[in-house]
Amino acid sequence: MTREITLSKAVNEAIAEEMRRDPAIVLLGEDVAEAGTPFKVLSGLVEEFGTDRVIDTPISEPGFMGIAVGAAMTGLRPIVDLMFGDFLYLVMDQLCNQAAKTHYMSGGKLKVPLVLRTNMGATRRSAAQHSQSLQALVAHIPGLKVAMPSSAYEAKGLLKTAIRDDNPVVIFEDKLMYNDKAPVPEEEYLIPFGKAHIKREGRDVTLVATSSMVQVAEQAAETLALEGISAEIVDPRTIVPLDEETILRSVRKTSRAIVIDEGHQSYGVTAEIAARISEKAFYHLDAPVIRMGAMDVPVPFSPALEDITVPTAAGVVENARRICRGELVHAA
Amino acid sequence: MSAARSKKKHNTDDYLRMYRQMVRIRAFEDNANQLYLSAKMPGLTHMYSGQEAVAVGICEALTPEDKITSTHRGHGHCVAKGANFREMFCELLGKEEGYCRGKGGSMHIADQANGNLGANAIVGGSMGIATGSALSAKRLGTNHVTVCFFGDGATAQGLWYEVMNMAALWKLPVIYACENNGYSEYTKTDEIAAGSLTARAEAFGIESFRVDGQDVLAVNQLAQRLVERCRKGEGPFFIELETYRYHGHHVGDINRDYYRSRDEEAEWKKVRDPISNFGNWLIDQKIMTADELVAIDKEIVSDAEAAVKYALEAKYPDVREVDMHVYAETAAWGETQ
Amino acid sequence: MPHEVIMPALGMAQDTGQILAWHKKPGEAVSAGDVLFEVETDKAAMEVEASAPGYLTDVTAEAGSDVPVGQVIALICETPEGSGSASSRQDAKEVPAASDEPSEIEGREVIMPTLGMAQDTGLLVRWLKQPGEAVSADDVLFEVETDKSTVEVNAGHDGYIAALLAEAGEEVPVGQTIAVISAGKPEAPIARSAGPAALPSAPASVETPPAEEAALPVKAAPAPTAEFRSRGEPQTGGRILASPKARRLALERGLDLERLVEAGHAQPFHVKDLEALKALPPKAQAGVAAVPGRHLTAEIAEDGFTDFTAWAAGSAGLTDAGALLAGLAGASLGNLPVRVAVEGLGTRQVYTVSSTLLGQVSKAEPDPAPDLCVRDLRFSRIGAVRLGAGDCPALSITRAASGLCLTLECTGDHLSADAAVSLLSNFAGRMEQPLRHLL
Repeated sequence: MTREITLSKAVNEAIAEEMRRDPAIVLLGEDVAEAGTPFKVLSGLVEEFGTDRVIDTPISEPGFMGIAVGAAMTGLRPIVDLMFGDFLYLVMDQLCNQAAKTHYMSGGKLKVPLVLRTNMGATRRSAAQHSQSLQALVAHIPGLKVAMPSSAYEAKGLLKTAIRDDNPVVIFEDKLMYNDKAPVPEEEYLIPFGKAHIKREGRDVTLVATSSMVQVAEQAAETLALEGISAEIVDPRTIVPLDEETILRSVRKTSRAIVIDEGHQSYGVTAEIAARISEKAFYHLDAPVIRMGAMDVPVPFSPALEDITVPTAAGVVENARRICRGELVHAA
Repeated sequence: MSAARSKKKHNTDDYLRMYRQMVRIRAFEDNANQLYLSAKMPGLTHMYSGQEAVAVGICEALTPEDKITSTHRGHGHCVAKGANFREMFCELLGKEEGYCRGKGGSMHIADQANGNLGANAIVGGSMGIATGSALSAKRLGTNHVTVCFFGDGATAQGLWYEVMNMAALWKLPVIYACENNGYSEYTKTDEIAAGSLTARAEAFGIESFRVDGQDVLAVNQLAQRLVERCRKGEGPFFIELETYRYHGHHVGDINRDYYRSRDEEAEWKKVRDPISNFGNWLIDQKIMTADELVAIDKEIVSDAEAAVKYALEAKYPDVREVDMHVYAETAAWGETQ
Repeated sequence: MPHEVIMPALGMAQDTGQILAWHKKPGEAVSAGDVLFEVETDKAAMEVEASAPGYLTDVTAEAGSDVPVGQVIALICETPEGSGSASSRQDAKEVPAASDEPSEIEGREVIMPTLGMAQDTGLLVRWLKQPGEAVSADDVLFEVETDKSTVEVNAGHDGYIAALLAEAGEEVPVGQTIAVISAGKPEAPIARSAGPAALPSAPASVETPPAEEAALPVKAAPAPTAEFRSRGEPQTGGRILASPKARRLALERGLDLERLVEAGHAQPFHVKDLEALKALPPKAQAGVAAVPGRHLTAEIAEDGFTDFTAWAAGSAGLTDAGALLAGLAGASLGNLPVRVAVEGLGTRQVYTVSSTLLGQVSKAEPDPAPDLCVRDLRFSRIGAVRLGAGDCPALSITRAASGLCLTLECTGDHLSADAAVSLLSNFAGRMEQPLRHLL
């Protein structure tokens, strides 16, 4: 049985199902209990699981992140709620120096099974400190896994997998998608890490897109289809581990690739994936690989400015047209 | 009568064990220092010598299931919590048989079988971990106590205030044990810490204590009391232990005249050495003779030397291990889509 | 068992320590904790204590010397007599002081000259002047042997021999100071050995590959630095803009992108442009069959093969360079045995190559036709060749600006593009490092 539910509801269901299954799971963060977070994603959980397992913390991100690391090392499986992805900078030592390295530094003796749930995404008129998409920051650190759900269906399946993973996993939800509905089965399901999803099959160009950029890619593909350009959409689902094979197989077929992610373009997720395509599918490329990330500016407040900083379907269409027509792109 | 004798016997065993553990730490550090000086040990290390009564006094009040978190100056905590010389020296030398298969080194020894959640090379970095371990104990009902060792320098880290706040709010079974050795790296503690250290914890409503960290019996008695109270749900607690590090901040920190005098160092070693003072007490109390103590010292020194020899000859990890343990293998996820 | 006294590693980034003073004399009794010596490092003096009781013995470094950390500088023994080992002062590997001795001697330095092409050291045959003796700039000062010839070297300066810093028979690194000529007559002229920097001189010997290396299985050779050019692509300037995939397909199909340029087709070229290229009428070339031929070149270093022929002649008694070439080329083609014709200027000999092993090449009758032809043009004045494909694939060897140029010519019927690339790659690798492949 499949019904349509919001991404917010999908996350809530994933956590509730897993907490029912495993009593070691606790939820930790600012206003996670009665308030259910500012986005109301966690509403109702405290009623079912009580304040022993749904724990409101003070506004002390490094503190509760560190507590989660220690709890994960000693038998609990914490899910940490970081209210905004922008607060990642506050927890970097505990996440990157402690959680990410503990298993390795202890020669495999200690494990840190925790999930850091946070969000990303601009165009909510929240300005520079509540709009960032910082997945590249954590994807850079060995020892962390990074999941980027692109719909309610993806969010539920990936979060359940994240909770069962024995490693620290950071999962980024696009805060603009919390109310977006998608078909989600009522039956339990999991989505494995490191297996990309071909969202749409095509012949002429591969659009590799993460999180909400999958929607952008889908809109672009519709427009391109009207012009006779057939786009294939690959959603990596997790950027660590990355399903390189599926991406390369698609690019070898289409000979062209555009990589879209909402993080800043420079030194970002798009750069990493584009580089791997260029290295490993070079002789199959009939056009340069195009990166499309957020502009390299702090996210501005004014709607007039903010909207032009993120990749759009029109931009994807424009780039796809140029490379499919064989126009000279960024070349001398 | 027989009850009294058995109690006396029990105490004697405890005293001897404390003496041995302190001598073991000193012997370990003397050998580690020698390995560094003779350029046989890669990297850098921080000597615990002088602070033995702190680690031993506290860890002797814990069970193997109780947890500790340790610091960059962590060999003493590791030995006191029950670690073996061999695996420790192997780790110091980056050998496969080390506690962390050579991946951690001096500053990251973890020995989870004995409840040691690991040393931490970020000053104050383990305060969250210790508090989280206490949250696990409370949530899972294990009745374990966690001791968070850190130095006076770490009291300047904001993380401590965040986690003390939560530990007090949630009444967690954690003891914050601040080893105040008078120096924050190369700076006097007076110059980096305003006000009193105990007042910091008291501000969160955490009961706080100061104790002579060179007196292993005083430390142990206080620790026993607080560990018991933690088990009853009366934690958290804070202890400031007044102690002294004999060496510099690290083994290469030899020119220390600009921050502390040689006279001061000599005075502590002469008057307040935790091992010789406790040894003299054992002789005064007729628990042990001087000859018996010398025999213990000799045996431990030769154990340490044998472990060093073993570690020097032990093999390095296979290079194929370099990318092993980045991620833990996760048991089957169940049905997947 | 004696305890070693070691120069300690004290600073954060310290390689040596200077001994300021010994506080104990050799043979003196010491207790654990006694100050043994003072050492200076990181601008600080530090006292080093004895780690065990006993007698200080076998002191090998004196006050003032810089000693590498970790080095044993003395022992603490159970008797004042010491270890009884041959350990002596000379054993201490003192680090040469920053101010090297010659510069402390007033005068002009004479260095071991670089005479040969690839020479690291020179063998000092004899001095023709004595310490303290007067010299003129044009006087022969010493004889040096290098590249198997003896050369006389002039003093270069007028004055007196203040120091001779190497002895006859020593191999001295080039550039090292071996004498000092002073303006005035020196009071105490110096003569000494070049010290540890000099190598023990050994009779010049022919370098032979070590036996164990020869016995090892053939390892993958590093990719030869060969550059492949698709036929007809402009070799200088005017680089064609084309996608990686279009280039790869053109190479595989033997298509000439240059013809698209000539036809006025707009660049950059993509895969779809290859359809237009295929549709162009065939272009006839004088003297070359209309069938598209393959023409690949690779440049390699020359000395690998030259050294190899010398070694093969000297050590294995294989004096027929043609047979060696046939062996390398045949092995590159694979599918042994094969028949390989080797052509020189006016000569032609066919060989049968029956295995990749050295010596498994034998002369054969001219018929039937060979599988492969090697044109050895190294000793001609011909630079680049474009002879067109004959009856079988042909490998031409010519001289390049530096090293050798290898050219493979064949038809599409002889070899596929992949096979042609593979043949030339293999041959280039074997020509650069013949021993690796043959033994």
